[in-house]
Amino acid sequence: MKKIPNKKTILVIEDERPLLEAVNDKLSKNGFGVIAARSVDQVFNANLERNSLGIISAQTIKQALDYLDDLEQVDAIWLDHNLLGKENGLDFVKKFRANGGRWKDIPIFVVSNTESPKTIKSYVDLGVSKYYVKSNYRLDEIIKDIKMSLDQPAKRPAKRARK
Amino acid sequence: MDKRAFKSPSDDIIHDLKILAAEKESVRRKLVVTAAKLAATAEKLAATAKEKEVVRRKLAVTAAKLELSHRTLEKNVLERTKSLEIVRAKERAILLSIGDGLIATDEKGRIILINRTAEKLLGTPSADVVGKLYSEIALLEDEYGTPVQPEKHPVKMALKSGTTTTGTTYYNVRNDKTKFPVAITVTPVILGGKVIGTIKVFRDITNDREVDKAKTEFVSLASHQLRTPLSTVNWYAEMLLAGDVGGLNDKQKKYLDEVYRSNQRMVELVNALLDVSNLELGTFVIEPRSTDICKLARDVIHEQKPQIDARKIRFRFTCGRNLSSMRADPRLLRMVIQNILANSVKYTPPGGKISLSITSADKKDMLIKIADSGYGIPRRQHSKIFTKLFRADNVREKDTDGTGLGLYIVKSIVEKSGGKIWFESPRENRGTTFYVRLPIKGAGRKNK
Repeated sequence: MKKIPNKKTILVIEDERPLLEAVNDKLSKNGFGVIAARSVDQVFNANLERNSLGIISAQTIKQALDYLDDLEQVDAIWLDHNLLGKENGLDFVKKFRANGGRWKDIPIFVVSNTESPKTIKSYVDLGVSKYYVKSNYRLDEIIKDIKMSLDQPAKRPAKRARK
Repeated sequence: MDKRAFKSPSDDIIHDLKILAAEKESVRRKLVVTAAKLAATAEKLAATAKEKEVVRRKLAVTAAKLELSHRTLEKNVLERTKSLEIVRAKERAILLSIGDGLIATDEKGRIILINRTAEKLLGTPSADVVGKLYSEIALLEDEYGTPVQPEKHPVKMALKSGTTTTGTTYYNVRNDKTKFPVAITVTPVILGGKVIGTIKVFRDITNDREVDKAKTEFVSLASHQLRTPLSTVNWYAEMLLAGDVGGLNDKQKKYLDEVYRSNQRMVELVNALLDVSNLELGTFVIEPRSTDICKLARDVIHEQKPQIDARKIRFRFTCGRNLSSMRADPRLLRMVIQNILANSVKYTPPGGKISLSITSADKKDMLIKIADSGYGIPRRQHSKIFTKLFRADNVREKDTDGTGLGLYIVKSIVEKSGGKIWFESPRENRGTTFYVRLPIKGAGRKNK
């Protein structure tokens, strides 16, 4: 699966189906390719639901190799904290970063309704790009930030966002 | 021969006899006098005896009277004692059996009475504590686990000040080191203007705390759960309004706009409820760092510029120098300024004036002053303005939007940050001025 130049792909991990669809649609509308997942398990072990209207066609990846191939194409991650299954967003970030290599530089945008200072601090300590309280942000605001971050790939310090 | 020289013996005898006679007469006369005296004395004695008899009789009467009154007195005292004992027993029974813990002390703070509830609460039998000093039993800690110094003890405060002292942030530590949160009221006992002792009433508030916590946690959980559907409505309305799935006609746009705006209002309400529950659960974290308050205030003003302009309000902003690096939690500071300013904008009629000034009050503190020419706060409601869910009558009539949580949150934040907030509103429709004083160096990191 080859990546079309300039088409950026976002891995969206969000457990709420209507929200996942909204994010998917809005990102696609903004020219992103989207890989969607509703649990950490889904990302790492099993069927990755590729739900994109962009470059990655919607089909199930059965093979780990395929999934790795897909993950290689991810430019940014949109991550919710509470997910289906036993693991949450923090577990994802830890696993993801543990793989090292190019992955450790992929910006992660946490978009969650959890506002516990402890949770937010854990994300910030793990070096996520930004933390959004979901209900306080418009989709276009978050997407604007993602675009900016992808346009200037210089690492920016994690910011905690809440309006 | 001398005639004189010649004396017959009979002459001598005659002479002697004459002397004797004279003496006899003298004695006789004396006797007569004595007899007269004796008679007089006898007479007197007779009179005294009579008087004596009278006195004796009088004494007898008095004695009888005394005997009677003694008996009556004894009876009265007995009766009085009995009724006092009844009163005392009743009072004792009341004191000992009331549901709250009770400890009475004398003027030195020595324990003279401890009731059953207090014994049970503290785990100390009465016999062990009566006579001891207040500070020797029922050890007190503050909410951070620091022992309360004897001179700061409520009993001592009541003894010293002669006024009732209350506290709800203490913990009582038992002998076995277990502890419980306690609400204490100490009332001084005053006799003739002097404090002669204290009555300490206290109660274990573990349950109250738990109920409160459960309630707050429920609000927190519910609010949190509400955020997901709120986000869904938000984002889909946003996409529809943006024309992502096709254009809308004006009516559709207007309706959807109402949906979107109401949803925003609900988001704000949920945020405020979560802030309140965090403040009350003590999970509100203050993270002070170097903050440019002037810039922060400008951002807040910028955000509210559309509302300020829409109401044609003349706005003035001044910010002192040297405040660019005060230590504060920018998020909380923003909430403080944003809340007060939003109130000013909302409650100032079109064409009014608002000024926001930030200055250093002294070397330690800075002062935020937000003055408006708005509706003001009715005098009778001044004391309630910072209470949770309270909205003044005059603004409730004018505007239905508003949670009554903003100033409650602001006050909690300011106080947790080691600051003070107050306001002036001399008369209705003459505006309100809010003041917030905060330490420039911040209150230190607090997780409480």
